[in-house]
Amino acid sequence: MGEVVVSLDGVVRRFGKLVAVQDLSLEVGAGEIFGLLGPNGAGKTTVINLITGLLRRDGGQVRVLGFDPQTQARQVRRQIGLVPQDTNVYGDLSAMDNLWHHAALYCDDLDAAGGRIEELLRLMALWDRRNDPLRTYSGGMKRRLALARALLHDPHIILFDEPTLGVDVQGRHVLWEHMKTLKSRGKTFIVSTNDMNEASVLCDRLVIIDHGKAIALDTPEALRASLGRDIITLHTAPEIADPESLFDGLDVQEVARPEPGWLRIETKNAEARVGEFVSRVSTQHRLESLRIARPTLDDVFLHHTGRALRE
Amino acid sequence: MKRFFLLLLHEFRLVRSTLPIHIVAVIEPAVMYALMTVILVHPTFDVYIRQSDDNATQALVAAMEEVGSPIGLPYINPVLVDLDEPRNVRQVIVVEDRDSIPTAVQRYNLIDQNLVKNYRNRLTAAALRLWDDELDGYAVTVEEYPSGPRDIPYNVYFGMAMLPMATFLAASMLGGVLTAQEFERGTVMEQRLASASPELILAARLTRLAITALLGTGLVLLATGLINSYWPTSLVLVGLILLPVAIMGGCLGVIVGLVARTTLPAFLVGLVTSFVGWLVGDAFKPAVSVGGWYEFFSRLTPNTYAVELLFPRFYGTEMGSAATAALVLTVAAFGMLALTALVYRRIIYMRA
Repeated sequence: MGEVVVSLDGVVRRFGKLVAVQDLSLEVGAGEIFGLLGPNGAGKTTVINLITGLLRRDGGQVRVLGFDPQTQARQVRRQIGLVPQDTNVYGDLSAMDNLWHHAALYCDDLDAAGGRIEELLRLMALWDRRNDPLRTYSGGMKRRLALARALLHDPHIILFDEPTLGVDVQGRHVLWEHMKTLKSRGKTFIVSTNDMNEASVLCDRLVIIDHGKAIALDTPEALRASLGRDIITLHTAPEIADPESLFDGLDVQEVARPEPGWLRIETKNAEARVGEFVSRVSTQHRLESLRIARPTLDDVFLHHTGRALRE
Repeated sequence: MKRFFLLLLHEFRLVRSTLPIHIVAVIEPAVMYALMTVILVHPTFDVYIRQSDDNATQALVAAMEEVGSPIGLPYINPVLVDLDEPRNVRQVIVVEDRDSIPTAVQRYNLIDQNLVKNYRNRLTAAALRLWDDELDGYAVTVEEYPSGPRDIPYNVYFGMAMLPMATFLAASMLGGVLTAQEFERGTVMEQRLASASPELILAARLTRLAITALLGTGLVLLATGLINSYWPTSLVLVGLILLPVAIMGGCLGVIVGLVARTTLPAFLVGLVTSFVGWLVGDAFKPAVSVGGWYEFFSRLTPNTYAVELLFPRFYGTEMGSAATAALVLTVAAFGMLALTALVYRRIIYMRA
């Protein structure tokens, strides 16, 4: 991690009796894509709003490039661009009109705004549609325009709440590529998402949040590896009645029955030891299906919270 | 300055997303004025009299032609018709010989008592002229002293009194709807983190509202002028008088939009306050001529003070204190501006 550009230290935020963010601490380095991963209602958007200064914190410290968003709002606003969860645009106006309005609100140098607008629209592959009303844009195009808008005043840090919400598969990949391109140009992203695939593909590091608390923080690979186990999923006939006895001595960490006839076994080094499992099963059962997988971030969440990410 | 004009340009672009409301706000008062001049106001200059060669009828017609208003314009236009009864006309006068006494018999169609009064007054005015001549010094002499130098149709007063309403209606209705839509659309989020000052953003919106409101008012003025062939002495002064009204309407609309955050209540508040302000504020006659509670409540509306300032531009004579009216409108406009800025900062920029 490079220079710290955003830091949260023991941050607390309450909404009445509900504690939306509890003692959250994290640091975001310059030029990385940092993820906030968690289910709906985990507190991700609240964290983003605390970083931007849209919400007042009830405890702890927040620093954005050294500035406090609560007491030094003007300095922070110049350094950040926000793409909120809802793509809020003027649908009857064109992309150019929307961006010029944003420039009037955000840009210090209005003389250079025209060139910047063209540069960003070309980067987002929207230049050919620049004069069309935004209500004719697809969801993905609107998200790209929202990203272009957030970049207009050349902020160092972009906060992107649910980047690909409502975007089709193809549009997602296009958007991810744009974000990686911008990252290569030195931009820092803070991305909130409940899509583990997006978090895995996009984020250099991420924090898993649940009920406002940080559950785990590291790179996606390290988080998956932290479970220290692989997943073997097998389907047998007849169903294995007592897997604990059958696999005794094979260092099984956990066994679950996701469906009738199916077993989900967590164990270490599954690829090296799958033969032993097959051998034990074959003595009394017919093996219908076998699959080996590395843990996903969903598994990481499940491991820490006992719930699936999308519950 | 460039930033202000960019924001102002954006404000005008928003017409595309609120075109029906713009049409209502800008055009409706002028249409309403035109319709109401047809429905409510009945000119009674034309007085129908049955054509006849007898001396009494000729004398009455001559007397009618001689009668003028106290400030110079013709008061009666005798129209000779071949009718004994008011068929397809509001009234008809028939001069009859009753026991050798010439009697002007006026018959009315289905008209209200106000119109009856008007026609009766005209017949009486003509008759007084005949009696004056006939009684040779022993007649009733009528002296009239108008307060104004010109005789102006009521339609003109009605149109003049509608100008502040049209201004306030357009500004408040559009201000409320445009502001509420920012919340409904979510575009208010852009303003929350903007570097541009909230006062500049507000200034652009209120400038646009004032321009649009004065455009709608211009249509009412145009309708008034074309229908009555009558124009105020200075269009620029009329615009300056109505500018604080536009600002107040726009401020009210923005405040309502910020608080309500949905279109329908913002629209309705603008509509209701405009119409109530109009009805209470000198809509049909100067409140000072009514007095009492009506005048008290009328003094709470900007319409009354605007009409007091507009009156000399149309009638050439003062009504009330122009200095007081100008001061009240100016102070009220600045007060509303300050309140709007306060509410705007509180709602847009205060952290939850």
